Amino acid sequence: MSVFDGLKFRRVYSPIHNLDPRIKFIYVCAIFVIAIMFGELLPLIVLFIMQIPFVLLAGVKREWLRSMRGAVFLATIIFLTNFIFAYLGARGLGESLENAVAMTLRFIVLIESFSIFFLTTSPDHLGLALEQTRVPYEFTFAFTTAVRFVPVLAEEAQTIMDAQKARGLELERGNFLKRIRNYIPILIPLIVSAIRRSLELAEAMESRAWGATKNRTNLYELKMHKGDFVLIAVTIGILAAAIYIRLYLPIPSINQLLTSIS
Amino acid sequence: MNENKSLETRVLTEIVVFAALSAVLYAIRPYTLPYGGSVTLGSMVPVMWLSMRRGVRVGLLAGVIFGVLALFIDILFLGAASIIASPIQVILEYPVAFGVLGLAGIFHRKTVGFAEAGVAISIFIKFLIHFLVGAFIWVYVYEFPPEWGQFLWPAIYNGSFLLVEYIVSAILIAILVKRGTLEYAL
Repeated sequence: MSVFDGLKFRRVYSPIHNLDPRIKFIYVCAIFVIAIMFGELLPLIVLFIMQIPFVLLAGVKREWLRSMRGAVFLATIIFLTNFIFAYLGARGLGESLENAVAMTLRFIVLIESFSIFFLTTSPDHLGLALEQTRVPYEFTFAFTTAVRFVPVLAEEAQTIMDAQKARGLELERGNFLKRIRNYIPILIPLIVSAIRRSLELAEAMESRAWGATKNRTNLYELKMHKGDFVLIAVTIGILAAAIYIRLYLPIPSINQLLTSIS
Repeated sequence: MNENKSLETRVLTEIVVFAALSAVLYAIRPYTLPYGGSVTLGSMVPVMWLSMRRGVRVGLLAGVIFGVLALFIDILFLGAASIIASPIQVILEYPVAFGVLGLAGIFHRKTVGFAEAGVAISIFIKFLIHFLVGAFIWVYVYEFPPEWGQFLWPAIYNGSFLLVEYIVSAILIAILVKRGTLEYAL
């Protein structure tokens, strides 16, 4: 169950991880809007390159590359369909190639910005941000606690499966219906133990006076630091520049640039 | 959440634990389609079961939390790249689409027939959400084969795994309700 190790979030310190999740979210939305605004290759290349310093600063290069690899298949399909339809639509080879690359790159920019947000925001941080945007505390509490319970329950599920297998339960035998019914001896103990756990948790919480006071205070508070203001400035700057370029400047295509040089 | 009455601690912890249980089952998956559609070992069952046990409001809350957890799990499994197309799409396909699973307990009666109707309704609404998001948001990201039109492809894609998921959930819920687990208390 190695995937659950991923849910045991480590506290990572990097300039990007320490940013306020709310600001990061606004930044991601700005990038998203800009990517939708442009269909030309040149600005999309610039947008793509602009994300790379973030990845390097956050130190999530490996995770980021893995998530990009997941997009390769979809990107290939987008590239091929765009290219083939533009080419069949009797556009020139260079032009249709550039158009296809631009569409693919737009897709990559869109998903790239979101990967960065989720890769650099731990559920803890997200919970804190939710709480301070006045989401009801019960919801944030339930979310952050549920995250902690996932690895615990996964271990328990594994134990129950092993125990039932040891008692002769065959999970990989029989037709579809039989297999589903075989699953019941695992599901019922899981539900029972989940109820037991919820009772223990409730007792622990009430013994520590859960819900006794109306106004909660936090040990950690999200405050705007220097980095947050920098990111706000960057976001506004990019957005303003993008709108200005969109409205007033003609964007040359790569093909035109190449022909003007030669 | 209602302002006038906050949740009992007991109920709140059940929401936490059952949302987490759903997430665990969601992560153990025998079969995954590209881009996040997957057949799981009845991952929707704990949330739907809780909704039948404690009511729709509790079920909806558990479903929304399951949705956010599922988002993180999908990112770990598949990478953010292949499941996320836009902010609205993420909100609709995770917290909202998983949240509607909480509608399974809409009939307030703890019999097999009503439970089955609840399961069918909630999974059908989930299908509708995925289908509409597919037809109106994913089309702009992923060019469907044009001769198939805008609606056929998302219907087939989402229908395929949700149908299997529905059959599995319906059978499991029927057995669980028949055995009287809904009344289980320590």
